Amino acid sequence: MPRLSDTMEEGTILHWLKAEGETVARGEELVEIETDKANMTYESDQAGVLHLIAAEGETLPVGQPIATVGEPGEARSELQAEPASAGPGAAASAPATPTATEPATAQASPPEQPAAGERLKASPLARRMAREGGIDLAAVTGSGPGGRIVKADVLGSSAAASAAAAPAGTAPRAPDEIARAKGETREVELTRLQQTVARRMAESKATIPDFTLQIEIDMEDCVALRTQLKGIANPAEAGEHASAPDEAVPTYNDMVVKAVALALREHPLANGSYRDGKVQLHSRINVGVAVAAEGALVVPTVFDAEEKSLGEIARETRALAARVRDGSITPPELGGGTFTVSNLGMYGISSFAAIINPPQAAILSVGALAQRAVVRDGQIVARHTMSLTLVSDHRILYGAEAARFLARVRELLEAPAALTL
Amino acid sequence: MAAPQPAASPNGAAGQVRYREALNAALREELARDERVILMGEDIGVFGGAFKVTEGLLEEFGERRVRDTPISENTIVGMGVGAAMTGLRPVVELMTINFSLLALDQIVNHAAHIHYMFGGQAKVPLVVRMPQGAGHQLGPTHSHCFEAMFLQVPGLLVAVPATPADAKGLLKSAIRDENPVVFIEHESLYGVRGEVPEGEALVPFGVARTAREGSDLTIVGISRMALTAERAAATLSAEHGVEAEVIDPRTLRPLDLDTILASVRRTNRCLIVEEGWPHGGVGANLAALIGEQAFDDLDAPVARVTGADVPMPYSKPLEDIAYPHEAQVVAGALATLGRTAAAS
Repeated sequence: MPRLSDTMEEGTILHWLKAEGETVARGEELVEIETDKANMTYESDQAGVLHLIAAEGETLPVGQPIATVGEPGEARSELQAEPASAGPGAAASAPATPTATEPATAQASPPEQPAAGERLKASPLARRMAREGGIDLAAVTGSGPGGRIVKADVLGSSAAASAAAAPAGTAPRAPDEIARAKGETREVELTRLQQTVARRMAESKATIPDFTLQIEIDMEDCVALRTQLKGIANPAEAGEHASAPDEAVPTYNDMVVKAVALALREHPLANGSYRDGKVQLHSRINVGVAVAAEGALVVPTVFDAEEKSLGEIARETRALAARVRDGSITPPELGGGTFTVSNLGMYGISSFAAIINPPQAAILSVGALAQRAVVRDGQIVARHTMSLTLVSDHRILYGAEAARFLARVRELLEAPAALTL
Repeated sequence: MAAPQPAASPNGAAGQVRYREALNAALREELARDERVILMGEDIGVFGGAFKVTEGLLEEFGERRVRDTPISENTIVGMGVGAAMTGLRPVVELMTINFSLLALDQIVNHAAHIHYMFGGQAKVPLVVRMPQGAGHQLGPTHSHCFEAMFLQVPGLLVAVPATPADAKGLLKSAIRDENPVVFIEHESLYGVRGEVPEGEALVPFGVARTAREGSDLTIVGISRMALTAERAAATLSAEHGVEAEVIDPRTLRPLDLDTILASVRRTNRCLIVEEGWPHGGVGANLAALIGEQAFDDLDAPVARVTGADVPMPYSKPLEDIAYPHEAQVVAGALATLGRTAAAS
C-alpha cells in the first residue's frame, strides 16, 4: 500500500484498473486507492506482469503489499506467506514453572503493536465476537500480548460505535424494544474520509480550549464592489461576449478569504498551530476553504492567499470546489492549511461556530449576507450585513488578540478597496 | 481460647476436623458399615499409619481386617487385587506415591485392566491410598506428584481431595465404587483442618467443587494447589481487583469437564495450577481439552503454573521454589489477563 499522503496510515483498494496477469508498462495507471483524504490513482513504477494480492474493497496499512509486478510466473509466495506456525516443539517449551529465577512473572509481556504486514492477532473469542457482531477486526486495536485483540478491545470498539446511539443515564431497555422504536435500522460504514473527519473533529472538541467571538460586518461596500466587479468581468449585460459566464467574479466568501489572509499577515498567532505544547508560527498564509462534498467535508487550500489577487482566489476556490465534488482533488491540495474559513451563509444560516481544524489556531464561520435593519446615525436603516464568528484555540490565541484580528477583518471588509490591491 | 464446648462430633468442634481425622473417620465408618472392607499396608496397624490415618482402627476392628504388611509394595497391591476380585473391598495404603512405582505392575497391568481382560467377569473394587507432595525435605524419592501418570491409565479412577470434607466424602465413595481407585492424599494436608459435614456425606466422583466464584478468569487447582489457588484468588481480589473463579476438580477421572468449561465460557481465561511436572501433566491434558471444546470462548491461551521440571531437590530453598506457591499463581493469573504484578 503506497503512502499517498502525509497522514495516510492505511488505504482501501477501490478498483483495479488492470487485471491479474496483465502486462503493465511503467507509468500506467494500476489502481484507484481511497486514502484518508481523497481517491487517488496509483501508477506502476515498473514494467512487468501484474499479480494482485489485495482485493477490491480491502483496506490495508501503508507498506503492506497490494500487488507485485514481475516476470511472468515469478514466484510471489514469500509476499503472501503466513507467519510460520508453531511447530510441535513450541508446545514443549516453557510453561510457567516456578523454577525460573524470575518466577512466573517472566511470562507477562507488555502490550505491543503488531508490525505492519503481520497476520492479524486476535483471540478466538474476539474473532467469534467480531464475526457475530459484524465488527471488522482490522479496525480494532489490540491491547493483549503482542497486540492481540481480546474481548475487551472488541467490546470497546462496539461500545464506541454505539455510544452516540445510547445516551448515558437512561434506563436500559431491551435491545429489541429500542430497535423496534426506531423502525428498521441500517448500518452505514464510514468511508476513510468520514472516519478521518470524525476522528479529527472529536479530537478537536475534546482537546482544544476554545472560545467564540462574533462580529457584525456592514457589507454595503462589498456589495457595491461585487456589483462593480461583476460589471467588469461579465459585460454580457452590455450585450458583448454573451457566451462568457461570470466565472471570475469573486464571491463574498472570496472577499472574506482575502481579508482574512491580509489580517493573518498582521496577526501571525492566528496563523499559527499548537503542537506538542508549543506554538508554531508559519511563514506562509494558506487559507483552507471548507467545501461540502458528497457525504463528507473537505477543506481545499488556497496557498499564499495574501499574495493572490481577489480574482485569483476566486478562480482557484472555484476550481478546487469543482475538484472536490468530482473526486479528483489530490492530497497536496487538501493539506498545508494554516487557517480555515467555513461558510453556511448560502443556506441562510445567520451565524454559527465551526469546529477548529487542528492544529490550526482558529476557524472563521461566515453567516448569510442579508439586508437587515441597523441603526446608523440614530436612524434605523436597511443595510447589507453579515455575521462572522471566530472560534479560537486559547492555547495560542488569547481573547484580545483574537478580537483585534477579527476587528481587522471587519475593517478590511467594510473598506474593501484594500482587497483589490 | 474459649472454654471447651460439648463436642458436636467425636472429632472435635463442628467444622474443625483435620484431613487425617476425616480419612480415619471415613475408614472407620466404612469398616463398620461393610464387613467386606479390609485395610492393608506398612505400619498401618500397631503404629497407626506413617501419617496416623489408621490410628485406632486395629484396636477397633482387629487384625483380621486391619493388617500390617512387610515392605513389599507390589505384593501389598497384588493382595489387594486378589482380595477385591474375590469379593472383599480392600483399602491398601502405600507410604508415599513414589513407592507406588514398585507396584505399578499390579496397579496398571492388573487392577486397571482385569475387568476388561476378562470380559467383565471380574471386578477389582480396590482402593490404593497414598500421599504425595513436596515441602518436607524428603528428596526426590518421597516427594513427587504422580496424579498425571495414573490419570493416563484407562480403568483407574483418580481422586485428589484437597479438603477434609472431600477426603472423607471421596474415600467413602471410593470404597463403595466397583472400580479400582487411586486415592491420592497430600502429605502437607494431613494436619489441615476444615469443615466436615456430619454423617453420610458422600462426595460423588466426577463432580468438581467451585471453591470461589469470579468472573475475570478461571483457576483450576489440582490436589493441594486448589488451596494455593484459593489463597491466590483472595490476593488477586484484594490487591489487584481481579475476581478469579477457583475450581477444584476433586477427581481427575472421571473429570467434571462440564463445570470447568462452563466457567471458562464465562471468564474466557483459564489458569491451571498443579504441583506435578509440566510435561504431560494434568494441566497439559486439561489445556488440550479446553482448547478442543471451548476454543471460541478463549480470550487468551490456557496457561499453567506447574512444579519445576526437575527431580524434587532436597535443599530447603530449592525445594521451596520447585513447586508453586501463592505468588506464582498470582503472577500467572495476571499474566493470563495480560497484566504484570508491577503494573497492577
